[in-house]
Amino acid sequence: MGTESLRSSTSMALQYTPSLHCSRCLLTCVWWAQQAGIAMRDGVRPDAVLTRESDRKFAFAECKARSFGPTSSTAEQARSLLVVAGPRAAEVLGLASGQVADSLLAFVVPEAGRELLAPTLVSLGKELDEKRMSVGRFSVLSLVLTDTDVSIMTDELGSSFFGLPSGASPFMEREPDTDPRPLYFIPYDPDIGQSEEEKVFCKRVLFERMQSTVVAAVGHANPPMDVVFASQKILNSSMFGVYGQWENRDSARHMRQLCRHFMGEIMQAVNKEVPNTMLFEPGKGWKVTLGSPQQQDNVLDAMSHFSCDRLDLRTQPDHTLLDALEDDGPASGAG
Amino acid sequence: MTMAETHLHEIRSRHQMIRFFDGYAIERMEELDERRLKRPLVKTQLLEVLGGNEAHTDEGLRAIFGRRQVTLMPIETSLFLAVDDQTGQAGLLERLHPRIVALYSTMKSDDMQQWVRRLVMRSPELDYVWLSGLTFGVLWQLVTRLSRSHRFTRLVFTHESVFDIDQAASEPEEEEEETPQDSAEEEMADVIERRATSFRLVDRIGVIQQKLEALQKIYSPLYAISQLRFPSPVGRGGHDFYDNGRVTNKTESFRDHRSHLLFVVRIYERLLRSTEEQAWYSIQDSVGVPGQFRKIVGSPVVVRFREPLSRDVFDYWIGATFERKRNRFRLWGHPIRLGPTKVHVYGVDRHLWQPLFLELTANGCTAIIPNGTCGNTVHRLVTNIQRYLDPGAEAFVGDKPYKRMVEESAQGVPYDLGSE
Repeated sequence: MGTESLRSSTSMALQYTPSLHCSRCLLTCVWWAQQAGIAMRDGVRPDAVLTRESDRKFAFAECKARSFGPTSSTAEQARSLLVVAGPRAAEVLGLASGQVADSLLAFVVPEAGRELLAPTLVSLGKELDEKRMSVGRFSVLSLVLTDTDVSIMTDELGSSFFGLPSGASPFMEREPDTDPRPLYFIPYDPDIGQSEEEKVFCKRVLFERMQSTVVAAVGHANPPMDVVFASQKILNSSMFGVYGQWENRDSARHMRQLCRHFMGEIMQAVNKEVPNTMLFEPGKGWKVTLGSPQQQDNVLDAMSHFSCDRLDLRTQPDHTLLDALEDDGPASGAG
Repeated sequence: MTMAETHLHEIRSRHQMIRFFDGYAIERMEELDERRLKRPLVKTQLLEVLGGNEAHTDEGLRAIFGRRQVTLMPIETSLFLAVDDQTGQAGLLERLHPRIVALYSTMKSDDMQQWVRRLVMRSPELDYVWLSGLTFGVLWQLVTRLSRSHRFTRLVFTHESVFDIDQAASEPEEEEEETPQDSAEEEMADVIERRATSFRLVDRIGVIQQKLEALQKIYSPLYAISQLRFPSPVGRGGHDFYDNGRVTNKTESFRDHRSHLLFVVRIYERLLRSTEEQAWYSIQDSVGVPGQFRKIVGSPVVVRFREPLSRDVFDYWIGATFERKRNRFRLWGHPIRLGPTKVHVYGVDRHLWQPLFLELTANGCTAIIPNGTCGNTVHRLVTNIQRYLDPGAEAFVGDKPYKRMVEESAQGVPYDLGSE
């Protein structure tokens, strides 16, 4: 999730939704659909929900790297999202009826997939409609890359819903031979399907963010004192507090493993330069002892010179004994 | 250290302080008239104090300075005698606003700069007050409105393209990281070719007002105002504000000097607050929708260069900033290359030791400041960009022009010349 989408004052605010909360309603729909022979998936969650609180408009946004057909496995997710974005949107979101004045499912795909996706969604909508299941309206938005900018292309419905001019709306300038990606708010999300190359990049960004958290805390300390880092604190600082909202226990555990891997490496680098300065204390976290301003300077030098680039970003960190020494619960309770 | 030590420690109240410095200022102006200045002028250094709630109490302030071997001896509420544990009295320190303190001193200019620099460089809880060229642009407009047009004023413009050179410059010493001397490297000037603008303009306000805007359009370094004189409304001379929060009293009245400090500090404090309110990124509960939603709030700080940097300049800027421990921008981080003239840095403001995320390109810079990172980081960044990269750069917080934020911060601030 990046910065550029929020650079200009978009008319809708981005709501990050780790999950949808009235899943009972969706489960009923899924059960009903399955009885009718329609493949639908429970536990779906859109990538983001955009809202404009002034007139209670909600857009369920789902980003896909490519288009898909009505028989693909992705179609199961799309059917669920069509229902989610329909008349039962308020119920699905856990809101009182009337709190959602208007809703929409917005698929975002590369420009090449735009024309292919719309018929798929029409077909899925018709299928659900025939089984008397209420579905929401949908819009297909596409990203268009030119040599000079990145634009979002809206269809007629998307244009009126989001208040954007129809056609291409450039929102990011682009340089030749340059990766157009923006800065990331949430650098890495193991729940999102990504290419290996993309995962490596995102992990690198996550590690850079963890390093800046640790360096800032040590630099800001007033020795003599100890600075203690718990994985929850590091991960939350590195992700604007989003880690604390993570409900998927497996993902939260995976994130803590990455954090431990990173902290283990930086601890080794620090102790090599300034012996016996950093250690892991079970149940507490990583303790950095700053006995004097000089020691603080030395630790900062060691931490600053440590480069995440050197880390093996492709191998999954091993499950270690340390995993058992921290709370293995969801993100909000992790130590 | 040459200063009136015997007098300062005898001061027992704010009222006595003002009377003392008033008398001192009159003597210095008389000496200036005779062109025989016997002792240094009264100078003020404005500093921002960070440190959360601790910084908001007198005890907290004493603890922050105490950690840097400066003892603050209380005189009355929010007023102290500042004594360096090694070098003796430094001056009187007064809290003017919750986050801003003023050190009044009669030290020699160079001694004071050096003393303050040493203090600030070693403390993540203290920072200069950063008045960027864009901020000075708004203050200049205020000067034209608040002063009569026949009064004389003084503006200094400083721009030095330190990253646009024909050979690598040496790593700056800690002493010159933030506030290079105006006279530094003069002998080198003929050898190293780069754009450098540093000149002062003294003229009547009305004359400058007529010409400056047109001149700035022709020659962008004139946007990089680094010093501005507020003419005194009660007598001759004025108050010279520098871009790092130093202010020299060149009038007969310390009371007037302090009133001008309060005026600018009120504006700056509002500017800090509005910068942080708009720019701080965080995840918040969505109040308007009482579901289990969280939303990302905050706006990026965007600086757009008037002219794109060449690839050489861009590379040198990135190298000189992130490959050196000491660098003019006081930043740390490992740049992630995304193109010939684009990098991402998930780094740290090395002075305040707070996280800061940057996208740097040949066309400008986007900064994300997480909740809690001081707004001063933004003002230092803008000041340094105007000084070292592009004097005509424009800045925005979200969609709002930085200049408009300064204008809004100045709206309704009383130009109250009788305050004590």
